[in-house]
This record gives sequence, C-alpha cells and structure tokens, in this order.
Amino acid sequence: MTGYSINWKPLLYILLTLYAVVTIIPFLWALSASFKPLSEIVSGQANFLPRNFTFDNYKQIFLQEPLFLRWLFNSIVIAVFVTILNLIFNSMAGYALARLRFSGKRFWFFLILAVLAVPAQVTLIPTFLILKAFGWLNSYQGMIVPSMVNATFIFMMRQFFVNFPKELEEAAALDGLTAFGTFWRIVLPLAKPALAAQAVFVFMGSWNNFLLPVVILFDPEMFTLPLGLNTFKGQYISYWNYIMAASMVFTLPTLAIYAFFNRYFIQSVTFTGGKG
Amino acid sequence: MLKFIGIALTIALSIISCHSLPIPSNYTSSQVVNIKLSGWGASPSEQKLLKQVLQNFETQHPNIQVKYEEISDQYMDVMKTRLIGEAAPDVFYLDALEAPFLMSQGVLEPLEQYITPEFDSSDFEVKLLESFKYKNQIYGFPKDYSTLALFYNKKAFALENLSNPPATWDELRTYSQQLTIERQQDGRISQYGFGEIPELARQVYKIKAFGGQVVDDQGYAAFASEAALKGLQLVIDQYQKDRSSVQKSDVGTNSASEMFGQGKVAMTIEGNWAIPFLNDSFPNLEFATAELPRINDVKGTMVFTVAYVMNKQAKHKAEAWQLISYLTGKEGMEKWTGTGFALPSRKSIAQKLGYNQDILRSALVAGVDYATTWQVGKYPAEIMNNFDNQFISVMLGQQPLKQAMERSQAVANKQIKAME
Amino acid sequence: MIQHGGFVVFEVRRRRQTKKNITEDLAGYLFMTPTILVMGTFVVLPILYAVYLSLHKVKLLGGIEYDFIGFRNFTRLVDDERVWIALWNTVQYVIIVVPTQTILALILAVTLNSGIRGRNWWRILYFLPTVTSSAVLALIFMWIYNTDGLLNDFLTFLGLPTYNWLGDPQVALKGIMLMNIWSTAPFYMVIYLAALQDIPQTLYEAAELDGANNWQKFIYVTVPLLKPVTFFVIAMGIIGTFQLFDQSYIFSRGTGGPNNSTLTVVLLIYQAVFRNLQIGYASAIAFLLAFLIITISLIQRRFLGSDKPYS
Repeated sequence: MTGYSINWKPLLYILLTLYAVVTIIPFLWALSASFKPLSEIVSGQANFLPRNFTFDNYKQIFLQEPLFLRWLFNSIVIAVFVTILNLIFNSMAGYALARLRFSGKRFWFFLILAVLAVPAQVTLIPTFLILKAFGWLNSYQGMIVPSMVNATFIFMMRQFFVNFPKELEEAAALDGLTAFGTFWRIVLPLAKPALAAQAVFVFMGSWNNFLLPVVILFDPEMFTLPLGLNTFKGQYISYWNYIMAASMVFTLPTLAIYAFFNRYFIQSVTFTGGKG
Repeated sequence: MLKFIGIALTIALSIISCHSLPIPSNYTSSQVVNIKLSGWGASPSEQKLLKQVLQNFETQHPNIQVKYEEISDQYMDVMKTRLIGEAAPDVFYLDALEAPFLMSQGVLEPLEQYITPEFDSSDFEVKLLESFKYKNQIYGFPKDYSTLALFYNKKAFALENLSNPPATWDELRTYSQQLTIERQQDGRISQYGFGEIPELARQVYKIKAFGGQVVDDQGYAAFASEAALKGLQLVIDQYQKDRSSVQKSDVGTNSASEMFGQGKVAMTIEGNWAIPFLNDSFPNLEFATAELPRINDVKGTMVFTVAYVMNKQAKHKAEAWQLISYLTGKEGMEKWTGTGFALPSRKSIAQKLGYNQDILRSALVAGVDYATTWQVGKYPAEIMNNFDNQFISVMLGQQPLKQAMERSQAVANKQIKAME
Repeated sequence: MIQHGGFVVFEVRRRRQTKKNITEDLAGYLFMTPTILVMGTFVVLPILYAVYLSLHKVKLLGGIEYDFIGFRNFTRLVDDERVWIALWNTVQYVIIVVPTQTILALILAVTLNSGIRGRNWWRILYFLPTVTSSAVLALIFMWIYNTDGLLNDFLTFLGLPTYNWLGDPQVALKGIMLMNIWSTAPFYMVIYLAALQDIPQTLYEAAELDGANNWQKFIYVTVPLLKPVTFFVIAMGIIGTFQLFDQSYIFSRGTGGPNNSTLTVVLLIYQAVFRNLQIGYASAIAFLLAFLIITISLIQRRFLGSDKPYS
C-alpha cells in the first residue's frame, strides 16, 4: 500500500504525536504517582517528577505482601488456560456459524448474540449458586470453565471467517480433508491476525476480571492479582500511592502480551498463497 | 505452540496439586477448630495490627485457628452474596448503617446466650450497643467508633486574630466569612472558611437539632419536614449566600481531610480517621479539634460504629464467640485501639487509654454522649441515594430545597413501599 | 463417523443430498458442542433463571422464597422515574459514543496501516488505554478531571471554559463519554487492523490501474470490504455502551450521582440486586434492556445490510 501523497505526511505525524501525547499523559502521571509517598500525592502538587522519590510502594507490594507471587501465579494460570481454550472453542464455533451448513444455525447465532445483550450483573448470583452446586467455588475450575467460551469472540471470529474465499474449502475437500481437518490445517493458520486479536483481548479480559473473582474466591491464596492488589482501598481514605503502584504492576503484563502479538497485525499473510 | 501448551499445563498441574496438599499441624483435625473472619481493607499498618491481635488470640486459644479473609471491595455486596449462597464467614464486620436490614433477615446469631459476667457487657457505651439490638436481642458488639468533630487550622485562625473555635453555628458562619480570603493577586480565593460534605451521613445532626427526623417510626423517609428543612437550609445558605464554604470537588480534592490538609479550607468536620491521615500526609499542618458548634442551642454530632457479628450458620458457634469476645473484650480492644486508629467502645478502655484527655481526640470522645448514630432503618440505600442526589442539585442552585427534599422523600418512600 | 462422512460426501455428491446434510449437521454440531455446553450452563441457564425471577418477588437472604407476582415488576418499572432517567442517560451515551469510537478506530487503523514509520510503536502506545483495566483508568481520570487537574489546566491554557467534571451533573456523563471513547477506540482499532491485513493488495492495485486516488481507494475498496467487521464493531459498540457500568460506578461511587446524571441502566440493575436484594425487579429491568439492545441491533443489521461484503 503506497503512502499518502507527500503533502499530508508532516500533518499526519503531528496529529499522531498529539494523540500519542494525550494518550500517554495519564499513564505517566500514574507512573510517577506510584513512586511518590501518599503525602506528596494528596498535597495537590501537579509535578510529574516525584520530589520524594520512593520505592516503598512497590516494596510494600512485592516484598511485604507474602501472597504477591501466589496471586501472580493464579492470574497467569487462569488467564493462560482461559485464553487457549477460548482460542480453540470460539474459533470452532465461529467457523461453524460462518462456513458450515447445519440446521438450526441461524437459531444458534441469534442466541449467541442475544445472550450478549444481558448484562453480567444479573447473572452473577445465579452463576454463583450454580458454581456452589458443582462445588467449584474458590477454585481454578470455577474461574476457568464459565469463561472458556465467549460470545463476543465467537461473533468476531464468525465475521472474519465469512470473508474467506470459498475456494479454500473446495480445494481442501479435493485433498480429502474432513471439515475438522480443513479447519485445523488450512483455515486456522490463515486466521492468524484474528486469532492474535482474540488472544490479546481474551487474556486482557481474564487478567482484568474483577467482578467474578470477588464473588467466588474466598481464600486469599486463591485471589487473582486485581483482587489482591485492591486491598489498599480503605474505608474512608484511599491509599493512592499503593493503588497506583498496584495499577502499574498489573497493567504491564497485558501490555507486554499485546506488544508480543502485535507482529501478527503486520501484513504478512496474503491470499495469493496457493493458486489464487 | 504445542510445546508451550505442554509446559503451561505441567506448571499449572503442579501448582494445583501443591495447593491441595494438606497443611500439617500440631493438632489432629478433630481438635483444631477453624474460624473464618472477614473484614474490609484498610491501611497496611492497620492490617498488621489486626494480624497481631489475631495472633495473640490464637496463642491464648491454641485449639482455634483464625483465617482472616479480607473482602477488598464492595464489602456489603459480597457479604450479601455469600450469605445468600450460605458460604459466609463465621464472624465478620458489620457497620451500624447496614445492621438493621441484616438483623431483620434472620441471618445473624443472637449473642445474648453467650455473654458471661467477665465479658462485662455493661462496659460498652450504651448508644453504640443499642445500634446492634433488634427486637430486644443483641446481635453484635461494637469494636470501635468515631464521632465527628470540628477540625480547624490554628495558623489560619491566628492570622485572623481568632483564638477560640466557634461555639454556635452562627459563630461558625461568621468565622467562615472572615476566613474566606484571597491571598493571591489573581482574584481566586485561596482559602475558604469551611469545607462542607453534603452527604446525608454528615447532616443528620442538623436535622435533629430542630426536632426533625430522617426516618419515621415505620422506617419511611421524613426528611422533608419543616423542622428538618430548617437544619438543612443552614448548609445551603452558607454555600450559596455567604459563599464561605466549598465542597471537595470544587477545590479539586477527594475528601474533606485533603481540602483541610492542603489549606484550601480553614475548618472542616471530620472523624477520628482524619487524625492519622493528617499527621502522616501533612506533618506541617497545625490543627486542633473541637466539639461541633451548637445548632439551635442543641449539641449534636454523628457517631459511626462497626460491630463483630456471628453468622447464624456458623458451625462452631462457641469458638466463634471466643473470637468475638476476645476482639471486643478488654484485652483485645485495648490492643486494637491503642494506636489511635479508632476509639474504644468500652468505657473502661477509653478511660485507661486516656483518650478523653488526648489533645486531639477529647472532642471526639466527648461527642459520644449526645451523638446521633448513623443508622436510618432497614433501607439505607434508598434514603441516602435519593437524599444525596437531590441535595447536590440544591447546592448547585438547580432547585429550591423544599421541592428537592419533598421529591426525594416521595421517591424514596415509593421504593421502600415496593420492597415491603 | 464424521471422518468418513467428509470423504464420502464429495464423491457421491449428486446421489446423496440427505446424507450430506446429516454429516454437515454433525460436523456443525461437533464444532459447536463446547460452546453449547458451556454457554448453556453458565449463560443461558442463569438467564432463564433470571426470567423466572423477573416474574416473582424474591426473598434471598435467610432462605430463598419466591412469590409469584406476574408482571408487577414490569409495571413497577414503568412507574419508576429512575428507570427512565437511567435509560435516557444510557441512550445519550450510546448515540454519541458508538459513531465516534467507530470512526476514530477506523481512522486510526487505516492510518497506522499505511506504511508510516514506527507504526509498531504507535500501535503499542495507542493501545495502552485499552489494555489498562477500566478500574485503573477511572481512578486515573478522577484525578485528571479534578477541578484543579490536568484537563481544566489544559482548557485554561487554550482559553476554553473549565468545568467541574466530577461534581456538575450536566457534564459528569460527558466526562465519562470522553474517557470511554479514548479507551475503547483502540480495541476496535486493533480489530480493524487485523481485518485490514486480509484485504488483498491486488484489489488496490486494480483500483489504481482504474485511476483511483487514495480517497477513492478508501471508499470503494477498503470500506466495503470492512463491512462485516464494521457490523461487528458497531454491534459490539452498541452492546458495550448500553451496558456501561464500571466507569459510572467508580466515578459516582456506586450512587449514579450527582443527581442521577451518571446513572446507567446496568448501574440501576446492580443497585437493585446488591443494595436492595431485589433480584426479581432487577431481572425485569435487565430484560427491558436486553429487549432494547436486540431491537436496536436488528435495526442496525437492516441498515448495514447483510454481512457479506458485496451483495
């Protein structure tokens, strides 16, 4: 894709930079607040460079909180499992809805869209009761199983698969591949950008999830990171210094995951592979 | 890709299997009783203190292990969910505001039968204990409390040649006008006289001062009565007419203590929790406290308190009671309130720790006798939300007070009626 | 069973139409099984239970009891002024946020895909707001929206009027809108970016041969081919905005104030469930919301046409 004509480029860069600056300022502030003592934060000064630079907030989180590593593990385990399972199951369902013909397909698609419309707050207590009936409260499975399929991303994958050329399946069938084989060997590898997007979002969703864990996890050892780090909100006073340090700590991993998957968004896959 | 999955699975499986290994202990499982305690989050130092108190308890009662499970956010929402799912802790914190509802639902264990003479239940401040009584049964023992006191900036006072804090509300208004000054050239006011918090929780004593009530005997909202409006009007007049008071968001802060600490207001009304906060965050601030000024010649203030209560479905009630009686007993309370985070609800401990002579806290302690408990019946959310919503719009001049209060009272009562 | 089905089907295509249908059905359902199982148990079942609840007055605490009251929950909500306020707030929010964030996402994606330098860094940077949990963002913004905070300082610098973003009912919701557009647009930007990778270069080359300039290439090649994804972006946008909860909860500390100006429908539902344990009433409101979302999504589908690119 050729770039825009030369006249636009400088203006473009200026706009992009402006937007980038606007985007990064809130985070720079939060980052700087995480290195300030509480007294400096509430004193109302608007300085970005901390006057009383301190590692104390992070020390409190990493060293003095004995369960920190455990929380990190829990969050990672749950997020990784949820992501992998989602990638597989959502893509399967999305593919089926987009490309396979089976009776009742329209109904299932409509149902999936319809459930998206009902907010989680209403299903929270019933979900809690169901998990209790299974004996899955306060457990990894309780956190993973309800989230291992996601209507939003089934929807998204379907939209991606809809655009694929029909020739793909016909060629695969001629090679003797079953539906599943076609899916696994031909279609999925071509869906890398969509899969990468899905991986990032699902991971993020699981990592940042707060509502479900706060209700079903009791044991401090089973807490996920957002839960554990949320203990710094006092009843009358908020400990902004710890809150900001904690926020930095649990934002960075998702950013890293995104940076890692970003390469898949580069145009590396074209449809001219094979005889197009 | 598959290798990665394999490694992840292995790690996960090993963690899960480690988690389910039993923890060895000195006692066989039939002898040790596990009690679950839940509370909300607080500062790291408070949490450390609580841990120490719990350790002392465990040392004295070697057959009881206490598991403290903190609920870090949306405490009451989570607690209600757990009570519904029959998965709630044995002992937990309950704020006086939320107590009437929970007590009426039959989910708390009445504690009368466990009290022993050594526990000395008459040692508690009557008013605080009353908040946790329902139909003549006691459901909880208060662990601490705080009242509201007037905090004032000594330096600001000195600059205006004011030596004593205001004794009546009229004096407070006059002082506020004097203390509202612009120190910088740009015409912006750099210090206001008074920092106001328009929430119902902070205003009830004003309603009471003129004989009004927040809720009537049936539990319906009654804060739009003539008497109540008189009290509330004082706040509105000071904010709109005198222009000598501000809200925390007007001056870019998050709380009254912040406004006060930053010097944006010379006076404010806050509770005991503000003292450690101000000392830590604003060490150079010279402030003092005083009892709230009299309104309509009546002394008034608010008192906030929290109790330890027992889950009716607790499996080991005797042991749960041991925990409660220790934490609210003389020894436990002395430890918990010894560092000044909270004030002791037992008269003997208050005496022992000398808070009634403490320079900053004596005003708070004196308030207990005439304070109004922050408790408004079984449906606090409806009362509070509707009041706060409309009161703000009155402050901003969008509605007259009477109309707003009548409207919010009507809406609140409609909601309460639908729930009865 | 399916294995030989796929094989056999294509060789006996003309002779066995019904057999093909059965085996395709089986393939389809096998693919859908995990979804059906999990969503059935953890999504559909709770929703059905919620339907049941909406027709009852439910006592939850101290023993669950149901008291059938038919449609009284629904008549009550018609009468409840807070429901209408919440609905109005939510509708305002949807109308402004969805088009803005979609267009912003599209522009950003196309720009970042156009071969400018350092585009990886831009992409990572712009994605920062989305990657951060909404709780953290809301906290950061509460500081920025402070009357003495960054935003007002910036506005003063530009000579524009300042507002009490957090305390004034008339601007509180707009403050949340601004924050949300900024933090959700990158999510859709990423999706558009992924979709843009799938547009074959050959199409653009062909268009150029026909004498199209950049703008025309955008309108006649890019936009139509992005239709299925745009349908997704707008549909999800509508659903997401109608369900706004996190930010309004954090900004207003769960009250929906000041003066109900940040009260959204889901916040109202949350209050009904948790503050008042009125789960029957809450379910009724939730179904009103779901009905609205579904209706609007269907209308949107009609507008945007089918989801095939050229039809």
